[in-house]
Amino acid sequence: MIEVSHVTKTYGKKHTAFTALNDISLTIPDGASVAIIGKSGSGKSTLMHAMSGLDRPEKGKVIIDGKDILTLKPKQIDSFRAHQMSFIFQSFFVQANESCYDNVSLPLEIANVPAVKRRKKIESALQAVELLDKKKSRARDLSGGQKQRLAIARAIVNEPKIIFADEPTGNLDTVTGGVIEDLLFDYNKNQGATLIIVTHDSELAAKCDMQIHIKDGVIEKMTTKSREKK
Amino acid sequence: MRIRDTIRRAGRSLRQAKARTLLTSLAISVGAFTVTLALAAGAGGQAYTDSLIKSNGDAKHLSIMAKVNNQSDTPKEYGADDGSGAKQGVLTDRDVTKIKNVAGVSEITPAYSISAAYMTRGGGAKKYDTTISIKADRTALSLAAGSLQNNQVSNGSIIVPEDYLPVLGFTNAQDAIGKTLTVHIEKPSIMLGYPSAQSEDKTFTIAAVDKKSTSVLQYRAALRISTDDGKAIYDYQTAGIPQSDQYYTINVRVADNVDVKSVQQAIENDGYTVFSLQDIQQTLFQFINIVQWGAAGFGFLAILASVFGIINTQYISVLERTQQIGLMKALGARRKDIGRLFRYEAAWVGFLGGAIGTLLAVATGLFNPAIAKALSLEEGTKLLQFNPLTSIVLIVSLMIVAVLAGYFPARKAAKLDPIEALRTE
Repeated sequence: MIEVSHVTKTYGKKHTAFTALNDISLTIPDGASVAIIGKSGSGKSTLMHAMSGLDRPEKGKVIIDGKDILTLKPKQIDSFRAHQMSFIFQSFFVQANESCYDNVSLPLEIANVPAVKRRKKIESALQAVELLDKKKSRARDLSGGQKQRLAIARAIVNEPKIIFADEPTGNLDTVTGGVIEDLLFDYNKNQGATLIIVTHDSELAAKCDMQIHIKDGVIEKMTTKSREKK
Repeated sequence: MRIRDTIRRAGRSLRQAKARTLLTSLAISVGAFTVTLALAAGAGGQAYTDSLIKSNGDAKHLSIMAKVNNQSDTPKEYGADDGSGAKQGVLTDRDVTKIKNVAGVSEITPAYSISAAYMTRGGGAKKYDTTISIKADRTALSLAAGSLQNNQVSNGSIIVPEDYLPVLGFTNAQDAIGKTLTVHIEKPSIMLGYPSAQSEDKTFTIAAVDKKSTSVLQYRAALRISTDDGKAIYDYQTAGIPQSDQYYTINVRVADNVDVKSVQQAIENDGYTVFSLQDIQQTLFQFINIVQWGAAGFGFLAILASVFGIINTQYISVLERTQQIGLMKALGARRKDIGRLFRYEAAWVGFLGGAIGTLLAVATGLFNPAIAKALSLEEGTKLLQFNPLTSIVLIVSLMIVAVLAGYFPARKAAKLDPIEALRTE
């Protein structure tokens, strides 16, 4: 369970100060799929950064599994991210010069997974996104959709509990975007991982269990699919 | 991240920027090449000097001469006796006894001055003028045939120069070994112009034939005999004449386990002038050292210049890989991991540069025969001598230097804010 309570994040100083997040509180149950929706500059990315410990809001708490990650030491947050979370980005951020295999290997290396255990994990992750036959190809030779599938393989290889996806289909056409969405939701359903998607695509948002609309740093509206409204 | 994985990733990102990596390494390799070559030339020079000294003299050998006056080079008043035997630059048996008592002196031989009237193979063969000398030191000779023990002649034996062989009727050097040679000794005539009153024949067995070597600075063709045989001739030639037992030089051999310098000092303190081969050797070594470190200095300057190349390359690398660094940090990589990744890259560059420079320098060693020929040194002389340990130390030092040079770029990478690094706009 992710609990965000009274989080405030301000950029800049004094008269140029800009409040990106203003006293945000929300709760995300384990295994849910959540869409954070808003225009650019609304604070939706900042919220994602705060929840993943990449950014440090000056006020509030982010409690994941009972621990306030904002009070952890950098070393512990890094370890937390390495073992519990992963990311998918709009521009993929796959390492163009490296093979698909090495791209997927990166999170395992960072999480100190012994070399002997990596191979099986990497191959099953590539299998899941149907890129196993490309494992020796360089990432730069892949198409956009394949790159994002590779990014998904990289995101799921270490079996994270939470996946953050920042506009995962933003750079893709509808068909390939659909494939990516299916992969993400499948993983969310089958593995019980929490999926948090930052997007301004209302169709994609509608597929999630929960929608959080953000505007000017505050939650404008929160809807849940089959459960009670908050 | 595990160290092995980091090293592998560092190596991989270098391979992906091959041209840049190679050029940066080449800059370092210039320094490594110069340093390696300078050290190799220094080592070769010392080895060559060493062999030169060995073939020109015996390191355990001291030549002792008298000072004009005891304790000083100022002449003393005629008739005054200061207790030492030294008089007018001449040494006597009293000096021999005195020096013999100095600790560390194992052998002492006055330089007996002897002469031969002629040499012949006997049995009516022709007679030839000759020079005869005593081999008192253990200087190595280059032999055309035969052998010597400890570079000394045994009593009754003789060393013949190669140049003498044709007139003596030997077909080659090997042919002469074991044959006999007669030397005719005359007592000097009492009065100039009169024939010598007495003379005798001495017959020796040829033990070895020596030849001129290019590494010998001064070579004199002469028959060489043992000290005892020489003393016998000296005694025969000087018996009853006033110049007997007066020597210009006394040869001393220092005991094997004793420091030559300290014995030399002790004899000098007794009021003699002492020459040792070490004096010359030290001067030469000092000279070689200065040249060697001078040349190495240029290499170090080149390395210093290449340090800025490494810093520059690493900064560019950090800029180019901002996204990668951001991604790694988002995935939980620690600052330490990122810094290490870039430091290992720098170390790889240092290693490559060191290895390339060293290999090129060692390849230059293939020209050793050509160098020896060009400088007309003895065949087989290696003026460039490489030491694997030195090369390893050099390469490791270059890796350390590269890592230090990569410190600031690595720190910049480690400090990158992942949110900034991953901003797509």
